[in-house]
Amino acid sequence: MILNINDVSKAYSGLVVVDKVSIRLDDGEMIGVIGPNGAGKSTLFSLVTGFLEANDGDVVLDGRSIGRQSAAERARHGMVRTFQVPREFANMTVRENLMAAAPRQSGENLINAFFRPRLVAAQEKEIGARVDETIAFLKLERVADSLAGQLSGGQKKLLELGRALMTGARVILLDEPFAGVNPVLIEELSSKIRELNARGIGFLIIEHDLGALSRLVSKLYVMDRGRLIASGTPQEVLADPLVREAYIGGGLA
Amino acid sequence: MTSFVELLLSGITSGLIIGLAGLSVTLVFGIARFSNAATGDTMTLGAYGALMGTSLTGSLLAGGLIGLVAGALSAILAYLLVFRPLQNRSPISSLLASIGVAFFIRAVLGLVFGHDQMVFQMDLVRPFRLLGVRIQPNDLKFAGVAILTLALVFVVLHLTPIGRRMRAVADNPLLARVSGIAPRAVMFTLWAIAGAVAAVAGILLGMKTVVSPESGWDMLLPAFAAAVLGGIGHPVGAVLAGVIIGVAQELATPFVGFTYKIAISFLVLLLVLLVRPRGLFGKIEGVR
Repeated sequence: MILNINDVSKAYSGLVVVDKVSIRLDDGEMIGVIGPNGAGKSTLFSLVTGFLEANDGDVVLDGRSIGRQSAAERARHGMVRTFQVPREFANMTVRENLMAAAPRQSGENLINAFFRPRLVAAQEKEIGARVDETIAFLKLERVADSLAGQLSGGQKKLLELGRALMTGARVILLDEPFAGVNPVLIEELSSKIRELNARGIGFLIIEHDLGALSRLVSKLYVMDRGRLIASGTPQEVLADPLVREAYIGGGLA
Repeated sequence: MTSFVELLLSGITSGLIIGLAGLSVTLVFGIARFSNAATGDTMTLGAYGALMGTSLTGSLLAGGLIGLVAGALSAILAYLLVFRPLQNRSPISSLLASIGVAFFIRAVLGLVFGHDQMVFQMDLVRPFRLLGVRIQPNDLKFAGVAILTLALVFVVLHLTPIGRRMRAVADNPLLARVSGIAPRAVMFTLWAIAGAVAAVAGILLGMKTVVSPESGWDMLLPAFAAAVLGGIGHPVGAVLAGVIIGVAQELATPFVGFTYKIAISFLVLLLVLLVRPRGLFGKIEGVR
């Protein structure tokens, strides 16, 4: 699945926070987005996934323009995001969190739920099997029936990834997946992401841990004050004097 | 002692009816995020629907089902015409609008059916005695219907995919959208269930007492009290709180008299808001 972000812009009462940003994510590609705090990276993710409405530009997924669609519609077309601070359905179990994210459930319709119980039960079984797989993949077996609100920070990050997988997404936007995660789990998360990428899922990743990010992605885009200022392989980008200046100018990254 | 037990039993039955109404309030609050003041009048509408249905079909059961469908349809209609257009505004807009919807339903019912009290034609059954306690068979039936309704709602919420999605939206609406959960199916189901549950409460109340255009409105305070005491947005809490309030009202009747028992709800509401705003089970305080 190919994601094209075309000249997307956002301004709040005259203050431009994202300025004509274009990024192309090829099928199964893994790209990092870096930049100092306040560069507009998270806002860009919100614009791409439909949480914020862009003033200008378009988002194209596999040739289909989705720039005017709702967040739920974009998610159903195969592109989902995670959040800097992990979010979960706190009062539902891990298993239920994952079940809820599975798309196209005929039991979504109350009439089906009562009058076509076999169809719904068969689907539930299928989704249940996928959930079991996802839980095993993320090694969340021990907490599968715990309430998601009680998980540790790291487990919540894994659950976010799991929820994204359950939607059947082919493009996943990760917003600081390694923030607040211990080094061991960073390695673990990285290897999961690599494994999923090998299955053909494309990733666009915002991350401040440049070391871990560089080992993961083939390409980096650098944002500063709403604009893209550089792009290239991690080696090229991190050697770029303009990038170094933006980082030092923007304080510690 | 036996009269105490009789009051207790009667309190449980009326408490279940309050619990149903509280459940309707709490479901709407949890998912649509406002206090629906039209809940009481949806109850009344359900009761009149059942009265009409019963006289048309000659069967209380068929009539009851007609009333239930009427309640669900009116709630869906109110959602489409009023609450959906307001959904991106502040919850206060929806609350005020729901008061308007309440007045509208009551006015229409008054216009169509007049303001005289109406009753369901129910067979008179003699109470029987169990260990000296007088038991009204009808009360048992009402309690049975209430419990069956509650069970059905919990089956939907916890054992069906749409119920899981409703709980997801109630839990974290933003995350639900990210996960590709479309609000539409969830909202339709919510309003259908909230309307049907309110209608069942209204029908049972009408069968237990009388039906008048005002009968549901009078139940709004106990229903809100149950929702608040149970912890707003907490379905099990609302039902248990309803039973507690119902029992408290009945047990207080010998001391404060029939006319003032409604004040018990107000007292409960006030105490909970002052002392324990999150209620018995709630995890949230105040407005989210």
